[in-house]
Amino acid sequence: MANNTANNTHSQLIYLDGHATTPLDARVLNAMLPYLTEQFGNSSSQSHRYGWEAAAAVKQARQVLSNAIGASSDDPSEIIFTSGATEANNLALKGIAEAYFQKGRHLITLQTEHSAVLEPCRYLERLGFEVTYLPVQPDGLLDIHLLAEAIRPETVLVSVMAANSEIGVLQPLGEIGALCRERGVLFHTDAAQAIGKIPLDVQAMSIDLMSLTAHKLYGPKGVGALYVRRRPRVQLAAQLHGGGQEQGLRSGTLATHQIVGFARAVELADSPEEQEGLAHQRQLRDRLWSALAPLGGIHLNGHPTQRLPGSLNVSVEGVDGAALLLSLRSQVAVSSGSACGSGKTAPSHVLLALGRDRALAAASLRFCVGRFNTEAEIDQVIDQISVTIRALRLGDFKPREIKPKQD
Amino acid sequence: MQIYLDYSATTPCRPEAIAAMQEVLTQGWGNPSSLHEWGSRSAYRVEQARWEVAQLINAPTESIVFTSGGTESNNLALQGVARTFTAPQHLIISAVEHSAITKTAAMLERQGWQVTQLPVDGAGRIDPKTLEAALQSNTALVSIIYGQSEVGTLQPIEALGHLAQQAGALFHTDAVQAVGRVPIDVGRLPIDLLSMSAHKLYGPQGVGALYVKPGLALRPLMGGGGQEQGLRSGTQPVAMIAGFGAAAVCALAEIDHEPPRLVKLRDRLLDQLQSCPTLKLTGDPHHRLPHHASFCLQLSNISSNAPPISGRTLVKQMNLAGIGISAGSACNSGKIQPSPTLTAMGYTPHLAQAGIRITVGQQTTEADIDWTVTALQQAIALLTDAQ
Repeated sequence: MANNTANNTHSQLIYLDGHATTPLDARVLNAMLPYLTEQFGNSSSQSHRYGWEAAAAVKQARQVLSNAIGASSDDPSEIIFTSGATEANNLALKGIAEAYFQKGRHLITLQTEHSAVLEPCRYLERLGFEVTYLPVQPDGLLDIHLLAEAIRPETVLVSVMAANSEIGVLQPLGEIGALCRERGVLFHTDAAQAIGKIPLDVQAMSIDLMSLTAHKLYGPKGVGALYVRRRPRVQLAAQLHGGGQEQGLRSGTLATHQIVGFARAVELADSPEEQEGLAHQRQLRDRLWSALAPLGGIHLNGHPTQRLPGSLNVSVEGVDGAALLLSLRSQVAVSSGSACGSGKTAPSHVLLALGRDRALAAASLRFCVGRFNTEAEIDQVIDQISVTIRALRLGDFKPREIKPKQD
Repeated sequence: MQIYLDYSATTPCRPEAIAAMQEVLTQGWGNPSSLHEWGSRSAYRVEQARWEVAQLINAPTESIVFTSGGTESNNLALQGVARTFTAPQHLIISAVEHSAITKTAAMLERQGWQVTQLPVDGAGRIDPKTLEAALQSNTALVSIIYGQSEVGTLQPIEALGHLAQQAGALFHTDAVQAVGRVPIDVGRLPIDLLSMSAHKLYGPQGVGALYVKPGLALRPLMGGGGQEQGLRSGTQPVAMIAGFGAAAVCALAEIDHEPPRLVKLRDRLLDQLQSCPTLKLTGDPHHRLPHHASFCLQLSNISSNAPPISGRTLVKQMNLAGIGISAGSACNSGKIQPSPTLTAMGYTPHLAQAGIRITVGQQTTEADIDWTVTALQQAIALLTDAQ
C-alpha cells in the first residue's frame, strides 16, 4: 500500500472520516504536478502546443473514467467534468427537469439522499415540479415495490444514490435501473461515495446519469463528473453558460491538473492492489464493530452487509451526542453525520429516516476505514471509544433536548 | 525554442501557489465542513485564502464567495441576481462581453428578461452616455467587462458603475482579465459584484471567486450542503483556494512594478510592429490591459477576390515557429467565425476573422518579443507569398 505522509501531521488523531473526504494519495499528486508546471495550457486553446497537451491529458482522463464505469468505449464524451458531485447532482436534476418539462414534472428520490440532491429537488418544487421522497426500510434500503408504485406517466427522473454518505448502504442499482428502463423513466445515481469501492456499470445497471467526485477516492477536491448517456441520448439543459466546453453542457476552462488527478485516483482504486485493500478495510471495519457491539446499547445503522467496505455507523444509547463527539475530538476524527450538514446540531435526516428517535440519532458516530488506516489504529480507536462510552454512561453528561431541524 | 504568449488564455501556476497547494494536499486535506481538527484546520486555511483574495481588490473578507472559476462567477452574478426577482426585469450588458456573460444573458432572455447590449466604438470602448440612455426603471443589473479578453480594452468602469447605481441597478463587472494586472479597489469603485479567476493570475485552473458586496441579495445556483454562506454549495477545494490566495498575495505585492514591466514588453512589440503594414492594432491604444496586444491581419497587397487569411492561419504558422499565441479568446477559438467582439467594433465579417492576440506575462523576456516579431514577419511573408 502506498505510503502517505498525510497522517503524520496529527499523529495522535486517527482519521476515520473518509465519507467526508479522503487524504490525497501521493501517487495522485505526482500525476497532477506536471499539469501545474510545464503543461499548464488551457485545454480550449486549439492553436498551440500548450493547449494541445492539456486537451490530450483531458481526453485520456475522460477515457479512464469512461472505462471505469462501463460507459460506451467509443464515446467518452458521455463524461462531463464538473467541479464536484454537488455540481454534478445539481446539473443532473435541474438539467433533466428543464430538458424534459414538456414530458412531465414529477421526480422521485429518497428521503436519505445527500443534500446536493435534496436541495435541487426543493428548488424544483418551488418552480412547480412535484417530487416524491420515498422512505427507506429500517436497514436503509429502498423497497423496490414502493418505487414501482410511485412511478407515474409524468415521472421524468428517479434519483437514488449508489452508496449512502452517512451509513454506506448500497442501493440495488441494477433492479432500480431495470425498473426505470422498463417504465421509460430516466435513472440518475449519485455515486460520489461508491466509485472505486463497488463495481459500477452504467450498461448492466441501466444508469442514465451518474454523479462522481474525486475527493472521496484519494483524489483532489474540486473536481467531479456527470455521466450522461448518449445511446439512447439523454437530453440535458446546461446550468453554467459560456465558452461551450463539455459539448456545451458545462462551460468554463477545464482544470487540467484536477482532471488528471481524478483519473489517476480512479485508476488506482481499480487496481488489483487497492481492490485487495478494500477487503482489508472491510476486515478492519468488522473488527471495529465486533469490539463495539459487546458494549451494549450500540445500534448498527444500515444494512449489516449491503454496505461500503469501510463504512460503519452506530448509534449509542445512554450518551449525549455532542458530549460523545467532543470527548473523542482529540483522538479520532469521526463525525455524526454528513460533513456539509455537520455545522448544524440537528440529528441526521438519514438516521431519522431509518426510524431512529432524535436523541439516539444525535448520539451517532460515522466511521469510514480507509486506505491508509492500520490495524493498530483501529485497535487504538476501539480502546478510546470503549473507554469514552463507559465514562459518559457513568458520568454526568445527560442527553439534551434537541431542537427540530429548521429546514 | 518555445515561447508562450497566450497569458490571457491561462497562466502557469506560480511556485508560491504550487507550494501552498502542495502543503494543503499533503498535510491539510480535511473537509472544511468537518467539525474535527482536520476540518477546522482546512476551514481556517480557506478563511486565510479568502482574506488574501479579498485584499487584492480591497474587499471585506466575507464578501468573497469561492467558485469553480470565472464562468461560474459570471453565471452566479447574473443568474443569482435574476433569481431574486419573481418576474423578469431588464439587464444591460455590452457588445464585447465574454461568452459566459452573453450566453447567460441569452438564457435569461429566453426566460423573459429584456436584454440590452450596449454598443462600443471602434476601439471597443463604451461611451457612458449610451448606458445612461439605456437605463430603465426596471433595469436590475448592468454587467460590463472590466478588461476585454480579445482586444484588451479597459472600460470606464467607474463612470459606468456610478450611472448604474444612480439608476438603482446593481453593477457587475467580469474582471477575470483585469484582477492582478490592474489595481482594483472595490472599496472605492461603484461595484456590487465582481468576477475573478485564479488561473489568469498564476493560480490554479478550476477556482475563482465572486465578490458580493455585503448586504446584497443573491440566490445560489447550486443547492446542497450550504457552504460559502449558502451561496455556493459543494466541498471547498481547499488546495486550489490556498493556491488562489497565494497567487493573490503575490499579485498584490507586484501590482506596482509587474504591470509596468509588462507594458514595456508589450510596447516593445507594438513599436517594432508599427512598421508592419499588415498588422493593425485592435482595441484601445491607451485604455488597455497592460499585458495585451491584439491585431487585425490586413493584407492589402493581395487581389480582392483571393480568400481572406484568417487569424487562425497566422496563429498556426506561429505555432510551427514554437510560439503560442491565439486568434481570440481561447473558449471560442475552436470555431472559425467572425469574432463578435471585432464585429461589434465595426470590422467587416472578413476582417473580424483576422484577429490575433499576443499576451505577455511573468516569463516573457525582451528576447522573446524580438524573436516573436521576426517570426511574425516571416510568417506573414510566407502567407502572403502563398496567396
